[in-house]
Amino acid sequence: MNGTAPTAPAPEWRSLDPRTVAVHLSWMAAPLGSLGLTALATHGRLDARAWITLGCIAASFAVVTTGGVLRWWRTRYRITADAFELRTGLFTRRLRAIPLRRIRNVDLTAHPVQRLFGLTVLRAGTTADGALTLEALTRPAAERLRAELLARAGTTATAGEPVLSTVDRRWLRYAPLTFWIFGGVFAVLGTVWRVLSDIGVEPWRIGVVRDAFEEFGNSALWLTVPLALLGIAAVGSLGAVALYAENWWRYRLEWTDASTLRVRRGLLTTRSVSFERSRLRGAVLREPLLLRMGGGATVRAVAGGLGSREENCKRSQVLPPAPRAEALRVAAGVLAHEPGGDARTLFDRPALRPHPAAARRRRISRGIIWVVLPGTAALAVLGALLTPVLLYCALGYALLATPVVLVLAGDAHRSLGHGVTGRHLLIRSGTFSRDTVALERDAVLAWSFTDNPLSRRAGLTTVTAAVAAGQDGYRAPDMAAGDAVPFAAAAAPGILDDFLVTAGHGSGGRTGEGRADALSPSGRRP
Amino acid sequence: MPELRPPHHRVDPRARRWWTVQALLVLSGPALLTALALTVLSLLFFPGALPWLGPLLLAVLVLPALGYLWFMPKWRYAVHAWELGDRAVYAAGGWFWRTRRIAPLSRVQTVDTVRGPVQRAFGLATVTVTTASTAGDIRIAGLSDADAEELSRRIGEAAQLVPGDAA
Repeated sequence: MNGTAPTAPAPEWRSLDPRTVAVHLSWMAAPLGSLGLTALATHGRLDARAWITLGCIAASFAVVTTGGVLRWWRTRYRITADAFELRTGLFTRRLRAIPLRRIRNVDLTAHPVQRLFGLTVLRAGTTADGALTLEALTRPAAERLRAELLARAGTTATAGEPVLSTVDRRWLRYAPLTFWIFGGVFAVLGTVWRVLSDIGVEPWRIGVVRDAFEEFGNSALWLTVPLALLGIAAVGSLGAVALYAENWWRYRLEWTDASTLRVRRGLLTTRSVSFERSRLRGAVLREPLLLRMGGGATVRAVAGGLGSREENCKRSQVLPPAPRAEALRVAAGVLAHEPGGDARTLFDRPALRPHPAAARRRRISRGIIWVVLPGTAALAVLGALLTPVLLYCALGYALLATPVVLVLAGDAHRSLGHGVTGRHLLIRSGTFSRDTVALERDAVLAWSFTDNPLSRRAGLTTVTAAVAAGQDGYRAPDMAAGDAVPFAAAAAPGILDDFLVTAGHGSGGRTGEGRADALSPSGRRP
Repeated sequence: MPELRPPHHRVDPRARRWWTVQALLVLSGPALLTALALTVLSLLFFPGALPWLGPLLLAVLVLPALGYLWFMPKWRYAVHAWELGDRAVYAAGGWFWRTRRIAPLSRVQTVDTVRGPVQRAFGLATVTVTTASTAGDIRIAGLSDADAEELSRRIGEAAQLVPGDAA
């Protein structure tokens, strides 16, 4: 493979920016930093372990620099008449080519170090299986390249459609309504703790920390515990706001041309994701519990070619936590192929078919079995063994947890629903995060029906629509068994036709009467 | 009101033995061995523990392991079935959780036939029909070798005949 294109007037190969080598070295900041901290903490007396670490860092430095230089030196890319080609490798030269018409989205990201050097990473995604990533182009070069790729990738009838959404300062009030308000504080504390113990500092040994904990223990707990929680919530809110700003600074969602939806966002790490219209298969309106109580929602796009599940999670976000009305508008805008279609009213109080009462009983019994019973039983057993106080705790827990479970189960049941409207099918479920999914009916690749003996007796079936986008499978849990097949048949006609019978006659049996094919389980073949 | 009928063809009857061996290797065997080892250890070192350890092991390890070994293969065999229609492929799988999945032939991307070491001993194969979505992959386990070959050939042919995009 020598890399020369078969077509005669091949454009010349371009190379990456040399500053990429410097970026590669940035990971060394962490070990060097921790070594510095160790030196500080031990007043400059480095022990043998520290010297070994230093040696390792020096050796890695040499390897990484050489590797980076070699990689930069041997990486070339170009755009030919019909493909995007990338040549890499030192000993085994590798040429990867993606046909331009298969490129589905192009996104540019840059983490803080790369931004410091004015560099950007370009990723050209195709279907689920492949993507070309170009590390480190200069920002203008990346923008040019993206325009070039997308211009040839799809049909570009620039219709100049409106900007769907831009950030609003007032949305920051939704930032604390996320997991991060408490979780973030503990995550940060945990990280700090680990870093400290990694560099050999034991936080319990630090006088200030120990004194603070002792004083806390001696104080009036009924006052200081709520105060401490309040303090954590305040710090968590600040962190959540900072995180919101980092993720969504200068957020802008727009149709850059008739076939490309682009979202740009980020403060330190900037991110810019382009979705090609033909790969957009739907949208999800997400309403996590806290956010829902605050009247907010977020939106995700259901799109193919966004990479692995985790990457998909990051890239598919098209709206930060925002007022519900804005979320409805954006979700409709993401779906709308022609402005003013049915999409506008799709998410707002959709006419969904509810799931039967058996689904609620199922949720209640699940809550009782997994939440109420284990806690009560554990406390009761401990109480019987140790002290009667815990028996009262068990009773209290049962009395407290049961109504919570009932309320949540009721909410989960009210969330359940499915329906078919126009070009989309709708599925809604969840209570901790109520997700309303709208999928293009054409996009459904396969249907699955899942049940077990218990759910069969309750008359419930879970239906899963498989699509080559987003999370791949979207579940409509616990719908009435009688609704499942009509829903699937109505949402994506044709798939099930071969295997349907009308209820009442001929629904029994694997007898194989009158079948056309000669394949038989006993191995009888023509 | 339309209903989904079960697929026409059962898998090969030898699959029951294959699943039994699998259960022995993966779950029942280790569980029984653990129970045996604990009993022997307790006999040797803590004979006093037997009165409560015995029933505990019986309830937690031995009976579930034997139950799984006895019922799972039969149950699986009752559930597993498959059928190739004119335009779609249909398979039922699982045992406690039963999944019936249908994918149109126009969306089929690849057909893989896999034979594991235990399967090979019984002359069985697993055919996996993949689509562009991981939630749309159809897996038919426990086919006889010949059926598997024939099925994968016919799905391949049919997928080419039926127009459509696999994407």
